[in-house]
Amino acid sequence: MHERLSFFVRRDSPIHSLNPMTKVVLAFSLVLIAFSSPWYWTPLTIFLLVIVPLTLIGKVAREYWNFFFKVILPTVLVLFIMQALFLPGESKIIFDIFGLEITELSARLAFRNATRIAVMVSSFTILLLTTHPSELMSDLTRRGLPGQFAYVIISSLQIIPQMQAKAQTIISAQRSRGLDTQSSFLRRAGSLIPLVGPLVFGSLVEVEERAIAIEARGFTSPKTKTSLHEIPDTSTDKRIRWLLAAFVLISLALRLWPS
Amino acid sequence: MKIEIRDLYFTYPTGVEALRGISLNIESGEQVAIIGQNGAGKTTLVKHLNGLLLPTSGAVQIGGWDTKNQSVAKLARRVGYVFQNPDEQLFSKNVETEVAFGPRNLKLDKEQVQILVADALAMTELSDKTETNPYDLSPTWRKMVALASVISMDTDIVVFDEPTTGQDAMSITRISNVIKTLRQRGKTVITITHDIDFCAENFERVIALSQGKVLLDGIANDVLEQEEILATTYVDPPQLTRLGKRLGFKKTVRTQEEFLTALKKERSSYLSSTTNSS
Amino acid sequence: MAVVNLQNVTYKYPLTSSLVLQDINLQIEDGEFVAIVGPNGAGKSTLCYTIAGFVPHFFKGEMTGTVEVAGIESHNSSLHEWVLNVGLAFQNPFNQISGAKYTVFEEIAFGLENIGVPRDEMLARVSEVMKLTGISDLADRSPYSLSGGQQQRVALTSILVMQPKVLVLDEPTSQMDPIGTREVFGVIRKMAEQGMTVILVEHKVEWIAQFTDRVIALKDGKILLEGPPRDVLSSLVLEENGFGISRYTSVARKATALNLWKDARLPVTLDEAAEGFAHTTAFSPKGRGE
Repeated sequence: MHERLSFFVRRDSPIHSLNPMTKVVLAFSLVLIAFSSPWYWTPLTIFLLVIVPLTLIGKVAREYWNFFFKVILPTVLVLFIMQALFLPGESKIIFDIFGLEITELSARLAFRNATRIAVMVSSFTILLLTTHPSELMSDLTRRGLPGQFAYVIISSLQIIPQMQAKAQTIISAQRSRGLDTQSSFLRRAGSLIPLVGPLVFGSLVEVEERAIAIEARGFTSPKTKTSLHEIPDTSTDKRIRWLLAAFVLISLALRLWPS
Repeated sequence: MKIEIRDLYFTYPTGVEALRGISLNIESGEQVAIIGQNGAGKTTLVKHLNGLLLPTSGAVQIGGWDTKNQSVAKLARRVGYVFQNPDEQLFSKNVETEVAFGPRNLKLDKEQVQILVADALAMTELSDKTETNPYDLSPTWRKMVALASVISMDTDIVVFDEPTTGQDAMSITRISNVIKTLRQRGKTVITITHDIDFCAENFERVIALSQGKVLLDGIANDVLEQEEILATTYVDPPQLTRLGKRLGFKKTVRTQEEFLTALKKERSSYLSSTTNSS
Repeated sequence: MAVVNLQNVTYKYPLTSSLVLQDINLQIEDGEFVAIVGPNGAGKSTLCYTIAGFVPHFFKGEMTGTVEVAGIESHNSSLHEWVLNVGLAFQNPFNQISGAKYTVFEEIAFGLENIGVPRDEMLARVSEVMKLTGISDLADRSPYSLSGGQQQRVALTSILVMQPKVLVLDEPTSQMDPIGTREVFGVIRKMAEQGMTVILVEHKVEWIAQFTDRVIALKDGKILLEGPPRDVLSSLVLEENGFGISRYTSVARKATALNLWKDARLPVTLDEAAEGFAHTTAFSPKGRGE
């Protein structure tokens, strides 16, 4: 059982050393540029010229491609096919199969949309692969994200696997009381409550105790929080962020420019 | 309903070999306590009794049924298992429905279920709480509900996993009474427990496990007297056993009655020896 | 000077009708090691929450009477002040792990981060307190990979790092196995010996008899009895009211009726029982060649 849900892989790379906020800005910038650009080749260009090099510089290529082929590619392919077949628009038909048509326009749009999604998911994947969740949350909290919000996100990463373990125990306990987990679908649907019930009620009990425990350690203290780990924010980081902001503005300007 | 365990080996998917060759029999109606430190294999062993785990090699037979050939739901007719944490079982809107869940799953007819439920509630002193939502009860009483929910299934064999953890004295007495009643009805009762005094007072046979093997297995008095061996699995002897040993009793004692009987005997033999010598 | 001072305290949780604490009067001196015993439902946990300020500041509800702990008064203070002065730990170690930290070291620092302790001081304090409680070797482990006893010691350390003046422990060993119990009791005893004011709710009567200064017996929200450990724990009042008592006490009481226990004081520990039975029934261990 995984002790925590996490994409993060610990490596020594320039991307890893970047301040978390810089990587957040990078991810959002790539998405904004990909989605605002009027040319349908832009997202793919960003993918090839930015995303792929980043995975190499960040030394997370293996993990990234693993995720790409397992999740991103299938999703994006389905998206492409669906859009290509069903997006309306009058133009030259380039493909015809069993009465379903793909037009030049729909193909172009589908391609653009699919690659946009690929860029979006990929840039956030790189963010998560190269940034320790604690550091990410710490940095965002320092910049103003409410502490409670950060806590909910970060504790979920560890507590959800624990709940999965608990769910297994509940299943065993109810099976020991004769609950049949192998019969017809209808019967299994009815057996949801004995399985979910204890998980929910038991968790409510736990949540209250945990709330008291973190309260006892000053969680809602009005004092300004400090951080055990120093997360450096160098001038390089700041320059990169300004540069990215500039690119986004240029991209938006190009889009809004009357053509 | 005899339990037969032959050369039981079990390795978890993670590669941990939890049971390394256990063979033992438990006859119908026996009261057995299983002790040993965490990781010794107690829960792993006991999960083989109702099929939650199947042997990597070896066999477990419950009343002639090989557990490999039965589903957990079917074995639940013969083996009731009370889990340690009641909050991992309770979900019904009231105590009565909760306690009826088990027997209903066994497809018993309505009247039978009613009788069994009423009986289980009486045994656990819950008869006045039938309409209460289990989660409105304190953790101590939720434990009783969990117990009742398994007793109501009227299985020949009942397994308790750490029944006294977190309970107060009155609750432990209640649990002891339940075990006594089950004994009177000829049920086989198997308990995993850290509470060595509770173990001493309620169980005639004690099995000590260590590192997946049986370290000691026998009559409670004999097992509990083996201080050095028990110490290797971090178990202290029961309070009265220790006292008896300190006072030089010849026989190991484990209950208050045994202690007082032994005390009287030692005193009268001492008195007669002093009168003889004077 | 009493560091814990409760006068005529009565409390009721919100949306309930029964009083969980009834007219509690309790003073605890600085450095005292006090044990609280009682059946489940007696109000022990609520009393712990009251001493730690969670009643009424976290739970709300209706409280009358005065509560003053480490100079803070209940009626004109906020929970933030309380958590800086009173440490609270309870039964289930798993629920005391924040979930927000990936190593034991970070977990212990969590409290200090929350209250704004500067980084250098934080590093020093965490290392020091881990040495004190003997868990320095667990620093880089994930809190979720630990045994129950280890987790509970981490929970205790996480509270001790906040440097509370009073430590309140609600059944810290109830869910521990024998090794875990030993480990946790070891830490608690060390804290008490170092002069910390410790309030411990426990069922393990033999241990309490050996190491605490005073015992308070609670039932139905009221203090039934309080005094020196042996006196309280061997009292008939406790046995009659369904409290958990040592088997030594119980068997000695029965032996008194049979004229086999002569001392007016009943034993609670093994040593007390062995001594009493050896003397008063004229056993001579030496005579048996020991």
